Amino acid sequence: MPTVRVQPDVVVELRAEETVLEGLYRHGYAYRTGCRRGGCGVCKVDLVSGTVRYTRVISQAVLTDEERASGTCLTCRAVPLDDVTIALREEELSRNPLLAFLCGASPSTRPPSQRATGRPTPSIPELPRGDEQR
Amino acid sequence: MSVLRLGYVHARVTDMAEAKRHYGDTMGLYPMLEEQGRVYYKGWDEYDHHSLVLEEGGVGLVKLGYKVADPADIELYEKRAEQFGCLVERMSTGENREVGDGIRIVLPSDHVVELYHEMTLVGTEVGTHNPDVFPRHLVGVGAPRIDHALITAEDPGLADRFFREVLGFYATERVATSLDDDAQIIGSWLSTSNTPHDIAVIGGPNGKLHHFAFQLADWSDIKRAGGLFAMDDVPVDVGPTQHGITRGETIYYFDPSGNRNEVFSGGYLAFPDRPTVTWTVDELAKGIFYIGRELNDRFTSVLT
Ligand code: FES
Ligand SMILES: [Fe+2]
Repeated sequence: MPTVRVQPDVVVELRAEETVLEGLYRHGYAYRTGCRRGGCGVCKVDLVSGTVRYTRVISQAVLTDEERASGTCLTCRAVPLDDVTIALREEELSRNPLLAFLCGASPSTRPPSQRATGRPTPSIPELPRGDEQR
Repeated sequence: MSVLRLGYVHARVTDMAEAKRHYGDTMGLYPMLEEQGRVYYKGWDEYDHHSLVLEEGGVGLVKLGYKVADPADIELYEKRAEQFGCLVERMSTGENREVGDGIRIVLPSDHVVELYHEMTLVGTEVGTHNPDVFPRHLVGVGAPRIDHALITAEDPGLADRFFREVLGFYATERVATSLDDDAQIIGSWLSTSNTPHDIAVIGGPNGKLHHFAFQLADWSDIKRAGGLFAMDDVPVDVGPTQHGITRGETIYYFDPSGNRNEVFSGGYLAFPDRPTVTWTVDELAKGIFYIGRELNDRFTSVLT
């Protein structure tokens, strides 16, 4: 899996299809972000090396082609294709001490959330049956 | 003569499929029409055809529609808007689906506001004969209606004047640089109905959207909406908490394109003779988030 290096020396390993921001957050790192949905541009950083890809449509108003070409990376949407190095813009990475401790111990796995899809189709898990004879 | 309410918000989304999951499945709005890359929604307690139009491509606000009480009003607002120095254009029936003719005004802040008198009346699921108090099979949050929008302007004082002098709104609350008469207005909350605001403007770049809001019944519905945001992995900006300004209860969150939404409930009953409340800049954080009294970076910097 690709890694993300934040200059100068923080390196985290990503999961498949994970964005730069998700990977860093999961390891307890934080920096200034906004909508986390590719709409505001607050999470931009400089892509120093490596390549990223955008699996979702990004508005030109948020990230222009010129910015992409000149190494601006919209971290909440950018999925690295190989090992990448980024540099934050006028900001330092902070780390949540609890997460830092826990990340050292065991990676968390969260099942994908079950999204609602339209009108409810109730499905009730079968309850253990009591004694049928009673 | 009056403007009745915010009738519709027309916004851009980067990905329509994701937007439909958010506004349809999570927010529980009724999809009314899908046509030419646009999807039209309404809340369960709204009688007119739609209150939200989504358009694929980009982010942010296309325009806001306000419904007027009388068809004759439109000409008067047209005159006043022109006198105010705005660009005004007539719009004809059908330019907006299910919306009658009216005018389109470009505000000094570059936002586009449309005034109309007619939109196709479709009614609600509970109807108007011995109605039940809510529809039985609401989806997700099940938002009953759209409530207001907050936009940013380089000159919020001018926007405040526009809404009052041209459209007859009244300011319920303002944020000002001081309590002196010559203080600068840096935020204004204005009503044209009995809700604390039908529009709000704060200082910022022209033409931008801070958020648009759905009205919920009460605090426990706000909390329930928060639960649904957790289930559906909706990024929350701030809340649940209470505003000092309007006294409303709130959660701010983002749609899948990064447009900020709000669920809003409560707030006082407002009347045009209500004296305008003034907040000073040093108490702004308390005005916006009364309980936490802190404005995060994101809240002030994220606009679409
Ligand atoms: S946080 Fe808004 S675009 Fe990334
Ligand atoms: Fe609001």
